Amino acid sequence: MTETTLTEILPALPARNVLESLRAVIDPELGLDIVSLGMVYEVTVAGGNVVVEMTLTTPGCPLHASIEADVKHVLGQVPGVEDVGVELVWDPPWTPDAMSDAAKSALGFW
Amino acid sequence: MMPRLGEGGAPPALPIGTLLMGALALLVGAAALLLNTDTLTAGVNSPTMVALVHTFTLGFVGLIFAGTLQQLPAVMFVTKLAWPGLGYVTTPALLLGSAAVIVGFASGFHPTWLQVGAVLTSLAWILLLAQLLATALKRPPKDAGSQALILSVVFLTFTVVAGFLLASARTSPGVAQAVGYPVRLHLTLGIFGAFLLGIVGSGQKLLSMFALSKGGAQWRVRAAMLLITAALVVESTEAFARVSLGPLALLLLAGGALMQLLEVAAIHRRRLRKKLEAPIQRYVLAHAFMPLAGLLVLLDQPRAAAAAFLVGFVGLAVSGMLVKITSFLVWTAVFANARSGGVWGGAPLLRDLLRDELEPVTTWALAGGALGLCITFVTGLPASATLTVLLLLVGAASQLAQVAHVVITTVRAGRSLNRPAPAAPVRSAVMPELGPETSAEEAP
Repeated sequence: MTETTLTEILPALPARNVLESLRAVIDPELGLDIVSLGMVYEVTVAGGNVVVEMTLTTPGCPLHASIEADVKHVLGQVPGVEDVGVELVWDPPWTPDAMSDAAKSALGFW
Repeated sequence: MMPRLGEGGAPPALPIGTLLMGALALLVGAAALLLNTDTLTAGVNSPTMVALVHTFTLGFVGLIFAGTLQQLPAVMFVTKLAWPGLGYVTTPALLLGSAAVIVGFASGFHPTWLQVGAVLTSLAWILLLAQLLATALKRPPKDAGSQALILSVVFLTFTVVAGFLLASARTSPGVAQAVGYPVRLHLTLGIFGAFLLGIVGSGQKLLSMFALSKGGAQWRVRAAMLLITAALVVESTEAFARVSLGPLALLLLAGGALMQLLEVAAIHRRRLRKKLEAPIQRYVLAHAFMPLAGLLVLLDQPRAAAAAFLVGFVGLAVSGMLVKITSFLVWTAVFANARSGGVWGGAPLLRDLLRDELEPVTTWALAGGALGLCITFVTGLPASATLTVLLLLVGAASQLAQVAHVVITTVRAGRSLNRPAPAAPVRSAVMPELGPETSAEEAP
């Protein structure tokens, strides 16, 4: 299960609130939110600026533009957020082990 | 830089249109077979039969392969397609060329139609190959799957060029004297070099992705490439040096097919998504036809074996991936850069684009039709031929209906969302009670 790092620098809002807001971003293929899927590696809040470091299920994922846009849309609606940056990273690579137990269950892992 | 569909690949309308044409070609072929059911029991490869086979290979599989090549390389190689607008040239050339070839065969191997068709399809595939190589040069792929995909397109181009030679040999004694009439090489290049290797290459990546598997073994894909390539070298030697090397090519091809079977079994066994989606189930089921084809070869039933491999294995595998690739392409084209956002803004999930009831119809009708072809070729029973054709017709119609439904549903959903961004999320699959662990670190 991914352990998301939350970093705050004189934050306008708690990083945890940002992370919870990201649960509204759904992977269109898997039908689950990106937090439960373990795609969010780090959330940094510096004042009103938010940077989300995240990954996708596979490099070259054709849905990345949509997911990235949704992150910006969702966080853009959160009070206190002035600017949103999304950094896609591939190290460490995403594996199904990154998912929460509920997400694994929803996809029929067990 | 990451590729974006519609930006990194071709304009989405190009591959989507090509994929739709491919699905339509299968239905047209099945309908034509309904009017010529007796060709299945005639026991010989009549012009009608050869025309129908090319409707399947050039029309159905070829167009879907060409459509996929307008996007898949960008995703697999993680780069941008070299010439995104090339499809504006190649797709019409493939459509017209395939039609000309099919008409040429159906009209009794008419040389002019065949040559015109062969020139157009050869030109299109040479251009598509050049595009693929130019794309690969931008970011040379190191994984075996991508390399197998490239090699398969090389062989597919050789296949159509070999078809061009065959067409030329029919009218030019000089060509016939120089190259003979290498029908068997043409068949092996197409069925194994192009189709099997194409499925090996693209399938490893796609199946791993859709099954949430940690990926298969690179060595098996490389072994499949090596074995199939060696088989084609052997067959080329036999065709052009006019020597016989016994069953060597067949054994090498069987080895290549075995590698694919083992690879799919390994990915399937290691998958973490236990219940695969229906199109992916169809892709996996397709592989059951490979051992059947091998058994039919051992029983000296080459026509039935070819049917099992082409219609059963290749047909079902391509059909499964067709539905998945189309839904990805259309969804991304409509929603990726939508002002309202993706799923958050109300876009449907990919699985919501499918009509669930059509999937088992497509799978079992096409699988039943492929099995029926084998039975008909072995027994020659007219009743079996009729049932086979009806099954293929139902499967092809169901498949086309599904692909059309995906396109129409997505476009309609996109239009309904053509409004300013919503103030609140409309869809959520949030599981707050079991979210991932978090750790907080506060900087000064």
